[in-house]
Amino acid sequence: MPGTGLREHPTLLSRKTREEARIRYRTAIDIGGTFTDLAAVELSTGELTLSKSPTTPQSLDEGVMAALRRSGVPADAIERLVHGTTVVINAITERRGVPTALVTTRGFRDVLEIGRANRPDLYNLSYAKPQPFVPRRLRFEVTERMSYRGEVLRSLDERELKAVARSILEAGVEAVAVCFLHAWANPAHERRAVELLGELLPGVEIVASHEVSGQWREYERTSTAVLSAYVKPVVRGYLARLRDRLREAGATAPLFAVRSGGGVASFERAMRAPINLLESGPVAGVLAAAEAGRRLGASDVLALDVGGTTAKTSAVIGGRLRIETLHHIGRTPRFAGYPVQVPVVEIVEIGAGGGSIAWADEAGGLHVGPRSAGAEPGPACYGTGGEEPTLTDANLVAGRLDPEYFLGGSMRLDPDAAWRALERLGASLHVSARDAARGVLRYAIAQMAHALRLVSVRRGHDPRDFTFVAYGGAGPLHAAALARELGVTQTVIPPAPGNFSAFGMLLSEIRSDAVRTHVGRLDPVALAPLFDELEKEAREGLEEQGANVEVHRFAELRYVGQEHALEVPLDPGPVDEALMVRLRADFDRRSEEAYAFSLPVAVEIVSARVSVSLPAPPVRWTSAGRGSPVGRSFGPREVDLDVHGGRRRALVLERSSLEPGRPVEGPCVIEEEASTTLVLPGQRVEADDLGNLIIREGS
Amino acid sequence: MTQRQRGPEDRAADRFTLDVLREAFLAVADEMFVSLQRTSQSPVIYEVLDFGVGLTDANGELVSQGNGIAGFLGPLGEATRDVLRRVPDLAPGDVVATNDPYAGGGTHLSDVALVRPIFVNGELLAFAAAKGHWTEVGGKDPGSWTADSTDVFQEGLQLPFVKVYRGGRPDRDLVAMLRANSRLPDMVEGDLVAQAAYLEVAERRVRELCDRYGSRVVADAMREVHARSEALARAALARLPHGVYEAGDHLDDDGVGGGPIPIRARVTVLPDRMVVDLSGSSPQVRGPVNCTWSGLVSGIRTVFKAVTDPVEPASDAWFRPLEIVCPEGLVFNARRPAPVAAYFEATEAATDLVWKALAPALPETLTAGSFVSVCATSIALTHPDTGEETLLVEPQPGGWGANAVKDGEHALVSVGDGETYLIPAEVAEQRYGVLVERIGLDVVPGAGAGRRRGGRGLVREYRILSDEALLTVAFGRHRFAPWGVAGGRPGSVNYVEVVPADGGMPRRFGKAASLRLARGDLVRLVTGTGGGHGHPRERERGLVLEDLANGLIDEREARDVYGVSPDPD
Repeated sequence: MPGTGLREHPTLLSRKTREEARIRYRTAIDIGGTFTDLAAVELSTGELTLSKSPTTPQSLDEGVMAALRRSGVPADAIERLVHGTTVVINAITERRGVPTALVTTRGFRDVLEIGRANRPDLYNLSYAKPQPFVPRRLRFEVTERMSYRGEVLRSLDERELKAVARSILEAGVEAVAVCFLHAWANPAHERRAVELLGELLPGVEIVASHEVSGQWREYERTSTAVLSAYVKPVVRGYLARLRDRLREAGATAPLFAVRSGGGVASFERAMRAPINLLESGPVAGVLAAAEAGRRLGASDVLALDVGGTTAKTSAVIGGRLRIETLHHIGRTPRFAGYPVQVPVVEIVEIGAGGGSIAWADEAGGLHVGPRSAGAEPGPACYGTGGEEPTLTDANLVAGRLDPEYFLGGSMRLDPDAAWRALERLGASLHVSARDAARGVLRYAIAQMAHALRLVSVRRGHDPRDFTFVAYGGAGPLHAAALARELGVTQTVIPPAPGNFSAFGMLLSEIRSDAVRTHVGRLDPVALAPLFDELEKEAREGLEEQGANVEVHRFAELRYVGQEHALEVPLDPGPVDEALMVRLRADFDRRSEEAYAFSLPVAVEIVSARVSVSLPAPPVRWTSAGRGSPVGRSFGPREVDLDVHGGRRRALVLERSSLEPGRPVEGPCVIEEEASTTLVLPGQRVEADDLGNLIIREGS
Repeated sequence: MTQRQRGPEDRAADRFTLDVLREAFLAVADEMFVSLQRTSQSPVIYEVLDFGVGLTDANGELVSQGNGIAGFLGPLGEATRDVLRRVPDLAPGDVVATNDPYAGGGTHLSDVALVRPIFVNGELLAFAAAKGHWTEVGGKDPGSWTADSTDVFQEGLQLPFVKVYRGGRPDRDLVAMLRANSRLPDMVEGDLVAQAAYLEVAERRVRELCDRYGSRVVADAMREVHARSEALARAALARLPHGVYEAGDHLDDDGVGGGPIPIRARVTVLPDRMVVDLSGSSPQVRGPVNCTWSGLVSGIRTVFKAVTDPVEPASDAWFRPLEIVCPEGLVFNARRPAPVAAYFEATEAATDLVWKALAPALPETLTAGSFVSVCATSIALTHPDTGEETLLVEPQPGGWGANAVKDGEHALVSVGDGETYLIPAEVAEQRYGVLVERIGLDVVPGAGAGRRRGGRGLVREYRILSDEALLTVAFGRHRFAPWGVAGGRPGSVNYVEVVPADGGMPRRFGKAASLRLARGDLVRLVTGTGGGHGHPRERERGLVLEDLANGLIDEREARDVYGVSPDPD
């Protein structure tokens, strides 16, 4: 690879020389549950470097540095580093944050524990609510009060606050969240409280709710502030450690972390509001899928990421990701979860991944997931102690996976174990192992199709108009059947589908969002200054101010009387009456699309958002995914295609052997290092110049 | 959307297709549910999720449903079956509305069911049905439901199986009448349109399934759902501790001076069926706490589902092994024109009675007694800042009982509610112009003590800022506290307290209808602590000290009730 010569004498060449030589790597590193993935592009040649290293949960930076070493990318040749990390979500789900206290308005200290009092598991009369991250004894009240219009009803009692600070000091916490009622309308009291607490509690991390959320609803905002405070010291420590290690290794490049709402933030900015890194990794995959679509000229993309435990889907519409401004950590149909009011790319996740366990209920009904065998004990065919049949086992029994070539041959699968597991399942369903495998595959594919419909048809979009991008280790295996089920015309298996999240980060734009709750009529006099202010705030977040920033403005609107709102983009131009009229018309149209009706009543705005971005420079990925031939010939093998043609012999090809302009007819199986692609009879597959595999119906 | 790939018409439904269709039926119900929540104009629907939607087969047997609250287990199927009996000329695009409390699927007039037949190739294949709480359907008090009506005519407009849509279009005359009879006509029309729109979406989804799999296969799959559901329910029954269990209790009062109202259940659990006999309960009463057959069925089904399998999707067939005995004319099966506006009090009491009877036998599934009352609250007032008429309607969360394996939950919505959200203070202040002075846990010393202790109830305070306001509340368990189990102490009662601004004596009560409030008055809504499980002296010392540190008990309770003093030596 280029740069090898330089690496041998790193001290002999000054950085300047190297810059002149233009050997510069844009580098992305994504921490996943099992592996830490690296993808780097050498900017002058567009050549892609990939590496993987086991994730090191105890100290995530170890895995990151190991992945960097394995890649051979010299630290000082990094042009820009983009990082996706699970440090925030891990700290929350494993409760490894710091002891945290809460200071709130008198009368409201129990809001965090009461939550919204909902009981999603309707018939479970032994339901357990989410446990608050701050126990009651560490939740303190002070006298102060704002109205919903931001007027001071009662001024902040600083003597009380000082007394509270003393109690907090005695309690020995490491972080304090401050959330006062209506701080979204006027944060003055929160600001003053942060200032005072900062003086009285040296070394304690203090987070005010208005710093992390401009939205109303006190429980959700309190929860956002508390979780931010709870993880902040941990994330700050992690990012600082990683930064220092990279600097020691010679890296001088700017360092960025991927935010849950898409876009990135500098490490410095990320440390100030780490809660925005919540869903860093999965979001990068969706960004990558959007980019893959864009490069093919498609602005509507359905993204599917099938990993070990879940399948994640998301829709990109008109080139833009759908962002939700309220997200619930750990929410399931049976558990309320923990709310955070930060922008998160909308991803629908279902419990159907390679490791998802298939089972029969007492009435002989088949189910797949949501329980997963994970990496341990793993699918039965891993031979690592798992005995229950999984989706991976069903794929193996159906001949869709090659036992000798799993993960590029680095792991041998045990077909006998898979057969035994499916025989047991079949016995309880009164069918053969082979039929049980068909059933498992059909069920899992139906579930994935359902999730894909949720993000498309349910939003008023016809999936046939979308470009379908499938990735993750197990995505390409199910893509062709899903494409047929949904009727999509173009399916893309991107290069390196198993490293796709890291890859996506290379392509992330630098983006900063500012959101604020503002309830009222569509009045340009009030809205024009609001949008100006938000744009200013969003620009400040970008640090490297550029002339070529893109500004996008959005309004969350609803019919007066409705509770839930739809986000609608604003046309460019000044915020005036004419723009309001167009906005209203757009809202009616979107309401028709999404919910099948519009109403002839007044419309109100609920919140405003401005998103400012520096577009990512183009990255070529021509040679990506070709890889070197493994020097192994693949004979045809028998594959069970079920309803798509039964058991038949299918051609097996190495991915690198496919060339642009030379399509191959299905059925065929395409093998590559970390993934397998299945193509059905009646479909054909072709490599394109960008390194993708494109599957289409018809020959 | 049409499907390009058509499955072979009417091929024999292979077993895995049935599995896939089973999930598809659930997906249709889920989609209707989420969409209706997102578009409704009634806070009772979008915030409280007081509605249910579902698909039935051609006979009106419920196949799948999406529920916001536990209580709607039954009315959809019953309403649909009564549509089949009473509306002979059903045609494509029709939507039939009913809120008749004494007929199929009826609860109180505020709950309106809409039923739409789904015809495929000219043949009736299924129904889509939705039932939701409309904020205003007229009647003597704002918000329609009330606490002191004495017949159904005071409770609002009755819609006895009338076609509100014909051939896909709303009946203008009927809509005009609905509007004229409501204090919030836009909201009523908005709810009708949204609810009907989702029935149409459901029909579209069912057609897509028929396009793909063939209508006969779809019908087969519906039958299969029923067979499977019934088999699972019977298998679950076989595992329960069989025997005869009894419980008695009281409803506080009827809201118009009568009470307490004795109620009694005898529950016989057999290996293949469960019989719930409520014959020993009081005759129907003069005030609106009666429920009718549908309300009773929902209440009993809720606890039947909880003890058989809370997770499996419900269908009508799940409840085939459940037999309910209750003669007409009792408080649980009232006859026309008995008042039923606060029917949920009897419905929840029915759930609670069966729960109480079975709790000692199922110490890990069922908890000790909870605050079980919807604690329905409504405040009608003029927004002081905007001058708009508004109506705050909400249920209150409260303390749940403990069981053998866990403490009770604090401030959780009642058993008849479910995915029901408390209205945030910040939203209430902006939308209704009240000042929320407190949302907290209410610590009642000694209540709910046990080896596992009951959860604490809620206290919420509204300061009235408008010139006047009308308060309507129905807080049950105002006199009879939630029960403890196995030596656990009883919890505490629910109540409402009004502290007048003029310095007069605070008043405390459980029910009120259109009680006049003045500017500056404080309304304090307080719900009870749940019952304890096991003797308090058996509670682990560490847990008692933690409760003490968290202010959930005081030192005296720790010492006198739990036998723990903070400084042991």
